[in-house]
Amino acid sequence: MPTVSTVNLTAPLLLLLLWATQPTMATNWLSLARLPRSRPVSGAAPCARLRGLTPGQVGVCRARGEVMESVRKAAEMVIEECQHQFRNRRWNCSTTPRGINVFGRVMNQGTREAAFVHALSSAAVAVAVTRACTRGELERCGCDRKVRGVSPEGFQWSGCSDNLSYGVAFSQTFVDEPERAKGLSAGRPLMNLHNNEAGRKAILHNMQVECKCHGVSGSCELRTCWKVMPPFRRVGVVLKERFDGATEVRLTRIGSRTALLPRDPQVKPPAARDLLYLAPSPDFCHLDPDNGIPGTAGRRCNGTSRLAPDGCELVCCGPGYRAGRAEVVQRCSCKFSWCCSVRCQQCKNTVTIHTCRV
Amino acid sequence: MAGAIIENMSTKKLVIVGVTLLLFQAFAFMVGGLIAPSPTTAVHYLATKCVDTGKHQQETKWFMPWGPNQCTKLRTFDEAMAKKIEANNIVFAVHIPLPNKEMSPWFQFMLVILQFDIAFKMYNQIEEGAMATIDVGLAYRDDTVSEWTEMAHSFEQRKLNCNFTTTKTFENEGRYYECDLLPFMEVGSVAHKYYLLNIRLPVNERKKINVGIGEIKDIRFVGIHQNGGFTKVWFAMKTFLTPSILIIMIWYWRRITLMSRPPVLLEKVILALGISMTFINIPVEWFSIGFNWTWMLLFGDIRQGIFYSMLLSFWIIFCGEHLMGTTLFATLALGRGQVKMCESSVSANKNFAQPDLHPTKNLQDQTERNRFSVYWKQVGPIVFGSFCLFIFDMCERGVQLTNPFYSIWASDVGTELAMAFIIVAGICACLYFLFLCFMVFQVFRNISGKRTSLPAMSKARRLHYEGLIFRFKFLMLVTLTCAAMTVIFFIISQVNEGHWHWGEHTVQVNSAFFTGIYGMWNLYVFAIMFLYAPSHKRYGDEQTSGQCITGDAGGNSGEDIQLTTTITHVDGPSEIYKMTGKAAQE
Repeated sequence: MPTVSTVNLTAPLLLLLLWATQPTMATNWLSLARLPRSRPVSGAAPCARLRGLTPGQVGVCRARGEVMESVRKAAEMVIEECQHQFRNRRWNCSTTPRGINVFGRVMNQGTREAAFVHALSSAAVAVAVTRACTRGELERCGCDRKVRGVSPEGFQWSGCSDNLSYGVAFSQTFVDEPERAKGLSAGRPLMNLHNNEAGRKAILHNMQVECKCHGVSGSCELRTCWKVMPPFRRVGVVLKERFDGATEVRLTRIGSRTALLPRDPQVKPPAARDLLYLAPSPDFCHLDPDNGIPGTAGRRCNGTSRLAPDGCELVCCGPGYRAGRAEVVQRCSCKFSWCCSVRCQQCKNTVTIHTCRV
Repeated sequence: MAGAIIENMSTKKLVIVGVTLLLFQAFAFMVGGLIAPSPTTAVHYLATKCVDTGKHQQETKWFMPWGPNQCTKLRTFDEAMAKKIEANNIVFAVHIPLPNKEMSPWFQFMLVILQFDIAFKMYNQIEEGAMATIDVGLAYRDDTVSEWTEMAHSFEQRKLNCNFTTTKTFENEGRYYECDLLPFMEVGSVAHKYYLLNIRLPVNERKKINVGIGEIKDIRFVGIHQNGGFTKVWFAMKTFLTPSILIIMIWYWRRITLMSRPPVLLEKVILALGISMTFINIPVEWFSIGFNWTWMLLFGDIRQGIFYSMLLSFWIIFCGEHLMGTTLFATLALGRGQVKMCESSVSANKNFAQPDLHPTKNLQDQTERNRFSVYWKQVGPIVFGSFCLFIFDMCERGVQLTNPFYSIWASDVGTELAMAFIIVAGICACLYFLFLCFMVFQVFRNISGKRTSLPAMSKARRLHYEGLIFRFKFLMLVTLTCAAMTVIFFIISQVNEGHWHWGEHTVQVNSAFFTGIYGMWNLYVFAIMFLYAPSHKRYGDEQTSGQCITGDAGGNSGEDIQLTTTITHVDGPSEIYKMTGKAAQE
């Protein structure tokens, strides 16, 4: 009889232990992408039930509920873009089957990959919120605080096109919140904050200016110019370049403050746009479940070109790769329109598929 | 024309006038830079993809992207493929002011520009010369609950000028093309509070409509309108300037009519300049706040065109009237040894051709140079160029009065026609400037020629020529300064970001440019009408002024005596010949 009671208590105790020791990842809010579309994410009650949010983020959810739908969209954008940018690398931004930690335990250490994910996620929130403002889906959008008073008068006097500022501000409020809650003296929060800001800066530095002349007879006497937000794919490309040039830093004490300075003193201090990482990346070749590394076994690779980034020599490591033939039914001779309807025929093809060995 | 006010004004008074005008000019710049906001605003809109379920066939349904009656939305087009929704059932909806805002008549116009976000896909690329056919409807309402009223509906075609900057491989699928801005809509007045745009891209494979336009991800719009604050400041400026210019114009014309002689060509041209400036200044736009007059934009263009033509004509006529090589004086004896010399402006060549020249006849032949038809070669390009631009404007903005979605640049024929008009107007402008430069060169050559013989002339004639030279140089200097300032500020406003920050204050450079340059040309016309009005000061005791100078015959050179003796003989033309010969030699 005593054995039964201990057994009954052990399981919840173990779970409690696991929950307490699991580090709260700042990117857990990305789990919003996994919720079914029909599940609401705004309102007091649903906000509290969202498991991926820190308490501060739940507070933001309650206060600005209508924006959370854009946050969900941003989470989907992050996963899609990350997997696109890393499709040819050994770590291909794979997601865990379930759970709130979307990219797995790889994010636990302050590696380059974690830096990239943080930057991309803060940029995604800014872009998604700005787009929602531009579609008119949000009630309050950055035109509240205007030079001459209340919003309608301000808009009628001097116009208002602050949507991107609102998006960036919301991203700072929401995505940076877990780091600020942990305090600014530890290494990882500082790194995350810097990388979040680098993500937002990637948007701001890639704006394009476009102008239209509309004066007398269409002359350039009167010319209006505006800035256009870059498409998210472009932001992903820029951040991938920063990923390739990321700086390794460590936490140093300067007087009473702590800062992140390059590990190699010959490297110049990183700019606000650069990505920082604390720990070197592990070898992504071999399966390592404790650290959330799936390894490259079973990955498809391109066997034809040797030097291409997705070539098998680069992607697979160690045991190498093998080729196999498969019969695939593909769509061919498709007739596309500008959207939606696609009429294709089915063709059978025999293709050679290369996969990495276990 | 002799004896304008400027020649008879002391330097001190001239400086006072100049400083006053400069103060007003600085005030005009400051009003624009510090009080007015930026001239225009660009607002971004992203179209919402609505689904037309096709149930309401009998009436036109208007799809609202947000708010209480919002349409059924699509998040992405992949969703459309999954739900088997056809391309012809997708409606892009844009509500023109964003939520919680209203449009206002103070915005004066609404210009909408369209941009497609087209993703690159290997098997669905944009074909060469692809044209997008857009079925667009515009509706309005004045409160948030009533029905939408249709304002315009049209099928428009726009050419897609897109290019893909990276290589076209499978790797790069999903990146966007870089497409040009497409002109979409221009409405000349904003009479309602809320506007709704519903756009469809109907696909018809048989007729090749909207086939081969790539994979459209989103449609973005930019709505441009003039800021309400800028409009208010602009109206205030016009309302202040109209009575000022009117008053000086009336004063000017009274001075002209008070003279005994009929007005000269130059004086008439100055009055015409004043009238065209008043025509621009009259704030007819105030009516656009109460009434829905869409032709205001076109009307403003026409007024500006008239003023520019008048200004260019004034410059060339002014130069022509100051070609000093050929002025002729006919003298009349007044008794008591005094001579009155009246300018007769007949060219020396013409004199030789008319042997029966008689002093009285001379004065009645109103001057050859004084006629407008002498200037046909110079004014001709101005008129023709302005006419070309007028036709171009009518073709673009005139047609937009009936169909706001029309654009002359949309079709190839239209583009070529528009370019032809613009090029012809440009050629006319170049011709005009060549003529102007040539004439200015001629005048300066004559001035330097006259300079050498000035000390040898009698006092009256010297004063006359010196007056002419000063008048011409003063106007040249002022005009060049104004033109240079206009060009410099135009370049600054194009290159600059539009506003400068000085601590807490923001200076709107673009607004300062508009108000400053507008004020400057008003002050220019004001100054011309004030300084070039005929002066009532005389050189002698005569009542009338104008072209005659009375001088002392017992005077300085033998020439005067000769003139007197010539006239007292009522002899014949031979003596007149001598006099004219002398004048010609001068």
